[in-house]
Amino acid sequence: MILLEIKALSVTFPTATGAVQAVRSVDLQIEKGAIHGLIGESGCGKTMTGMALLGLLPKGAQVAAEVFRFDGMDLATQAAYLRGKRIALISQDPAAALNPVLTIGRQMDDVLRTHRTQPKAARQAVAVELLAATGLADPVELLNRYPHQLSGGMQQRVVIAQALATGADFLIADEPTTALDVTVGAQVLALLRKLVSERGLTVLMITHDMDVVAAVCDRATVLYAGLSVEEGPARAIMGRPHHPFSAALLAALPDAVPRGHKLAAIEGRIPSPTQAITGCAFAPRCPSCLPVCPDTPPPVRGNSDHRWACHLDKGAR
Amino acid sequence: MTNPILDVTDLVVRYKPRGLFVPPPRPAVNRVSLGLPAGTTLGVVGESGSGKSSLLRAILRLVPVESGSVTFDGRDWLALRGADLRSARQGIGVVAQNPFLSLSPRLTIAQILSEPLLARGDRHGSDLRDKTAALLLRCGLPPDFLPRRAGELSGGQAQRVAIARALALGPRLLVLDEPTSALDVSVQAQILNLLMELKADFGLSMLFVTHNLKVVAHIADRIMVMQQGVVVEAGPTEKVMADPEQLYTRELMGFGRDFARSRS
Repeated sequence: MILLEIKALSVTFPTATGAVQAVRSVDLQIEKGAIHGLIGESGCGKTMTGMALLGLLPKGAQVAAEVFRFDGMDLATQAAYLRGKRIALISQDPAAALNPVLTIGRQMDDVLRTHRTQPKAARQAVAVELLAATGLADPVELLNRYPHQLSGGMQQRVVIAQALATGADFLIADEPTTALDVTVGAQVLALLRKLVSERGLTVLMITHDMDVVAAVCDRATVLYAGLSVEEGPARAIMGRPHHPFSAALLAALPDAVPRGHKLAAIEGRIPSPTQAITGCAFAPRCPSCLPVCPDTPPPVRGNSDHRWACHLDKGAR
Repeated sequence: MTNPILDVTDLVVRYKPRGLFVPPPRPAVNRVSLGLPAGTTLGVVGESGSGKSSLLRAILRLVPVESGSVTFDGRDWLALRGADLRSARQGIGVVAQNPFLSLSPRLTIAQILSEPLLARGDRHGSDLRDKTAALLLRCGLPPDFLPRRAGELSGGQAQRVAIARALALGPRLLVLDEPTSALDVSVQAQILNLLMELKADFGLSMLFVTHNLKVVAHIADRIMVMQQGVVVEAGPTEKVMADPEQLYTRELMGFGRDFARSRS
């Protein structure tokens, strides 16, 4: 069952000097129970896409989409209603997500009180159960602790427990491991994977890190300059990317070539969000650019399982 | 075998206890020794609290050392004082993690690059302008960047300016603290390429501190893994990456594409 379906989502900010297109055209299709990666570099619109799903865009943002549906409901009008009931956010920096002057127990209860009608004792039992489900040892004792007394990994587990406390079944995880150490990040990813299979959750994993995608994602979408350029099974995108940008992103990783060899950096810069794009957005930086690329929008190739937008008929390489 | 440019023996760094009756904390750096042969790169890898930044600060003489010795370029580095220390410090260039924090937003790139030269005693004039333009060009930015300010640059461009500034006084050792961690992967590749070119051209030695084992495995000749202030593993990069002795080193290699291959 397709839980989330987005077609041609755009987010625009009108300014005095012209419209800033944070998201130009993003397509997403996420099956229930999947972890779907949203990959891209700074400024590609991945966080703005997540915020649009949550109805948390900054003032003045203009959202448009051909299809913008979550479980049969129209996100354009229902995003604020769904937030906290069905959709919850796990943000990058757990220390900033938690209130430093309130105990963990109070912060868990704030969420539970808002979303459930239960007496206090029952709520506390739920809080303890959820904290335990995120792998935190001694959850009863934890209720009286403050965020600064916990490590970064423990704080992120508390944030995940809060997201579960809302009762949401769709989690937007925005770079959930970026602020954590590598070994701790690996544990948090394993936890998310476990929660998805045990509780039937669905996760949109926003990340710039290909290793995160390879470790936990079932499918993934690659964004460039606010556009979806490739969508497919995570393993296929990692193993044989078809869009030249996806290929270039993987080739730029430091372990893509033997030690000390020159890395395949992507020259140039992403187009400015105020710039209009007529043809393929990646054309000016693309190593296999054809004469047609800069002026004609690329056709979508592939099949419903794995598709990409490119003029090359065989894809990258 | 050339003499090491940097030689650290049994270095201990311990921060002050937080109160009068609090017992002194565990040393942040506990008897760390390392040798850096001239013209090579040593990668120091560790997570938060591993002591890698304290080690770096001690080598830069920014925090006091409890015991141990540091020899830089044949001199007893920890004994240098005042003007001697000031002039000897010209031998070390530093690049920090976030170029937007390390570059002043008020100054133009030209001012940022001429600052260390003026502090050394160079005079304003066409010589200085030529020197800064050449430095910038060597780091991959054309001279029309000179009148701009850091806020107008992308992360990669700003980090190039920070590297150019670190090279201004012709250092023999470049100390890099997470120089690519704030950058996108495609830009990280550009900066790593630049560092490898500079190392070959100037015969630079580098101390490269990071939490990212994959980055350091690409650029370093030797790797040193730290955990809780102690060196848990050290050796040539190929050896450490192919056959790590410590489980912890293997954990640092992390999850990801290798893991995905073994999953299925």
